[in-house]
Amino acid sequence: MLRHSVRPLALITLLALVALAACTKEPLTGTPDEVITPEADAVVFDPATVPYPTLSAYKFFKGPMAQQRPVVSVLPYEPITPLFTDYAHKFRFVWMPPGVKATYNGDGNILDFPDGAVLIKTFYYDGVQPGNTRRIIETRLLFKRFGQWEFADYVWNAEQTEAYLDLNGSNTPVTWTDENGVTRTISYRIPAEAECHTCHKVSDEASPIGPKPQNMNSQYAFGDGVKNQLAKWVEQGYLQSGYPKNINTVVAWDDMTKPLDDRVRAYLDMNCAHCHTDLRHCSYRPMRFAWNENADPVNQGVCVQPDDPIEPSMTYIVARGNAARSMMHFRMSSNDEAVRMPLMGRTIVHQEAVDMIATWINSMPVPCN
Amino acid sequence: MNKLSSLLIAGLMGSLPALAQDNCATAIPITAGTYVIDTIDGPQVPLPVCATGGNTATRGEWYVYTAPANVSVTVTSDLPENVAVTPGLDTRVHVYTGSCGSLTCYDGDDDAGSDYLSLALFNLQAGQSVYIAWDNRWESRGFSFSVTEGPPFSEAVTFTNVTVPVTGTLRAAVDMNNDGLDDVVGINTTTIDNVAYTTGVTIAYQQNGGGFSAVSYPTAQIPNTPSWSLCAGDLDGNGWNDLLIAGGSKVTLLFADADGNGFSNDTTYNQYVFCQRSNMVDINNDGLLDAFSCHDVQPNVYFINNGTGTFTFYQGGLGDTPNGGNYGSIWTDIDGDGDVDMFIAKCRGGNQVTSTDQFHRNNGDGTFTEVAAQYNLANFTQTWSAAWGDFDNDGDMDVMVGASSFSAGGHKLMRNDGNTFTDVTAGSGYDTFTGTNIEHITHDFNNDGYLDIMGGGNTIMMNNGDMTFTPNPVSFDVGAVGDLDNDGYMDIQTGGTARINNGVGNNYIRIIPQGTVSNKNAIGARVTITTASGTQIRDIRSGDGFRYMSYLAAHFGLGQDEEVLQVTVRFPSGIVNTIDNPSINGTLTVVEDINTSITNATKEPLVLFPVPTADLLFISGDYNVNQPVRVFDLNGKLVKQAVVNGNHITVGGLAPGMYVVEVQTNDGPVQRSFAKE
Repeated sequence: MLRHSVRPLALITLLALVALAACTKEPLTGTPDEVITPEADAVVFDPATVPYPTLSAYKFFKGPMAQQRPVVSVLPYEPITPLFTDYAHKFRFVWMPPGVKATYNGDGNILDFPDGAVLIKTFYYDGVQPGNTRRIIETRLLFKRFGQWEFADYVWNAEQTEAYLDLNGSNTPVTWTDENGVTRTISYRIPAEAECHTCHKVSDEASPIGPKPQNMNSQYAFGDGVKNQLAKWVEQGYLQSGYPKNINTVVAWDDMTKPLDDRVRAYLDMNCAHCHTDLRHCSYRPMRFAWNENADPVNQGVCVQPDDPIEPSMTYIVARGNAARSMMHFRMSSNDEAVRMPLMGRTIVHQEAVDMIATWINSMPVPCN
Repeated sequence: MNKLSSLLIAGLMGSLPALAQDNCATAIPITAGTYVIDTIDGPQVPLPVCATGGNTATRGEWYVYTAPANVSVTVTSDLPENVAVTPGLDTRVHVYTGSCGSLTCYDGDDDAGSDYLSLALFNLQAGQSVYIAWDNRWESRGFSFSVTEGPPFSEAVTFTNVTVPVTGTLRAAVDMNNDGLDDVVGINTTTIDNVAYTTGVTIAYQQNGGGFSAVSYPTAQIPNTPSWSLCAGDLDGNGWNDLLIAGGSKVTLLFADADGNGFSNDTTYNQYVFCQRSNMVDINNDGLLDAFSCHDVQPNVYFINNGTGTFTFYQGGLGDTPNGGNYGSIWTDIDGDGDVDMFIAKCRGGNQVTSTDQFHRNNGDGTFTEVAAQYNLANFTQTWSAAWGDFDNDGDMDVMVGASSFSAGGHKLMRNDGNTFTDVTAGSGYDTFTGTNIEHITHDFNNDGYLDIMGGGNTIMMNNGDMTFTPNPVSFDVGAVGDLDNDGYMDIQTGGTARINNGVGNNYIRIIPQGTVSNKNAIGARVTITTASGTQIRDIRSGDGFRYMSYLAAHFGLGQDEEVLQVTVRFPSGIVNTIDNPSINGTLTVVEDINTSITNATKEPLVLFPVPTADLLFISGDYNVNQPVRVFDLNGKLVKQAVVNGNHITVGGLAPGMYVVEVQTNDGPVQRSFAKE
């Protein structure tokens, strides 16, 4: 087995110190942190044998895995506007082998990642009943080898000590109480590989969705302080320096200080554009929801008639001034699996987003003719 | 509250209360003219709903109108004074026949006017009355509306709305209790903790003499719903139709009890299947009905009937595009060789390989070969369903591949020319028809003997008989099709409303084949009728279009033909039964009977006649007429090569003696000998 164990010693030392400092800020509930040594940062990723049967085999995390504390070579990140997946919380991380890095490929395009890059995304809920505890459900990996992205999904055990490779798809019931005291129960969908591929593809080539400069050009509270994420990636050796400084950056969809139109556009970009863009699953429908295209009302579906008369009274995809007549609002408000949008990744309505869309549509003057 | 004009009318009429039009019983009588509603606030909500938009209205305003003569009536809010209002008005109108205690939708409209204004247009007979009711589905602000009269208009086919007492998700119009009458099937569902379950089946049984009687059968709580499609057939051969529930992540087979009084035995397959169109068909032609489902994002799946009440799940061999794109499967005998083939209407963004339609030709031995390109059917139009029928009545199945989106090409009308399909869209009416839909179905809606097509745009495309089609607007979208009033005209069930075809005075025959050796529903059978006007064919199918399940029978319009010379049913077993001169304008049941079969072979045997012959040599049987016939002498020397002219070749130029004829079949060359005088 190939072990990508060490980075330059000076960096390791530095990062070890940083990590120690960072760890003291974390609300630890488990055992005291171990001292980070080069061996402890030995992420294991052998292109010939991945995906491993267990998540722990990669050694992405230090301490109890449920704490999701990354080793120093595993860097957390967060898109400015996230994908809605039934209100699940997420930890996201990136790891790359020593000596290789991603390069900038346009504000709205996925960074050009090197072979060996791994994107790690853990889905969890807090306030899970009856114990009001955290439950980690799954950790999804996208890893690149031989020039292509591949999927792996690890389903966590009840003890929250290990997660096991499973790409067959399954459902698991979750009841949780959110920060506002609202209790919901869902049948959480852990995707099958074909479901991963449905959203994560360009033509038929698997692809990440989130790590685009437009989504990453933001401040993030790293363990060693707040820093721009792209700058941090450069510092970490994960991104080639010299990318443009003026990045056409999305807004946070829930940032009420931002223009409503921009918040809607950011939401549509992250939640809808993976299908409604050229070469994607549903490019045959007229909408174009990617951030760099969706400023155009026609691409938003404004006054554009839907191809599919699934509900005839929805006369336009977006009927100006009339959310009740807008297919976008109708589909976002539905849980019927043949009606709802997005088609995958949610089983319940993202009410706050639907409310935003309704406000946005109803604020448009001059009805469609 | 009511208007000035209402008050004036009330005043003129002397005794009407001020709130006259607030409910049906006190509806204001009106004639042609313009009327003002100042607020929609009457407590009686117009029900049933006769227009799109659902049943969430809370108030209504009621009027009653009586036709002074045979007229067309236009009821509309699309008036300049309404258009001028800002923000724009949004109205909805319902038109009823019947009494206030028993209202039946006659017409209705939501948005046919400009913007969101309404326009209902309908014919009435002299003296016929209708209730006209406006509701506040969208808003309660007042507006003006007009009633105008004109000469009656003619339509190729018209429909009357009838409420059917079915609950749940409407998915099927098919005979469930074997009385020859199509029933309406709804699937009852419930949502518990954000999970949708099937909890029952409600069947509105069509009654002898008309009307429906609904019975709800509870089922187990099944974690799957027919969100994507439903199909029906007697999978277990117990005499009662079973159901296939095609949901977003799995397939459930739901079996009718032995007495037909419930659905108690379900088998939910837990393999991940993102279902689309589903079908029941005897895939391996062993006499047992199997089941099939398109998979959106993987190779298709099917369930082979073991004959012991169990089914074996398979994935592979019937459309193996790795990432799916399978939407509209339909099983029909495309190449006319006596076994059932499958066409898949396909769709996928950014991937022409995945979106290219497929034709899986049945090799006759339980295997299938994908030959769409060979037949010029490998189109990558974005389509969710294709309507297969013999549109030109020349004895083979043509197809209208209906676009769901025009982003990769439009509708394609493809004529079956034997060994290839020819694109005849140009000038057909489908080159200029802009409606798109995920549903495309074909039935003869006006019983003129030519299959019509229904797809998008709330339009039935009426077949002119020459491979051209003329739009006939209707007020509803595609639904499940069946004869819901047993009058020989095909009706369409959408939601809880049956759109009853008013008919146009043509003749018809409905043929129900019943399998004995073959599967009981005779799914896959080819039914052929011959009349003075020619020949028509139908295949018995479970699952056409995209989502719904329609009648399991062969329905033929006869136009003005008064007799059917012969009915031929070729069952999947190969047994062929014929009936001469059956009664028309009714249902003919044809029970599969091996003793009276005109052939026991799977394929028509190749026969040469007369033998000996002096000049014309007739060739009958299943062979490829478009490939040359070769004639050899007994030394094996090629002495003649000819294309079949209709059904014969000429051999007059050959010296007397024995010869061998070789024709091409789908199974390869076949030889027969004959004598030349």
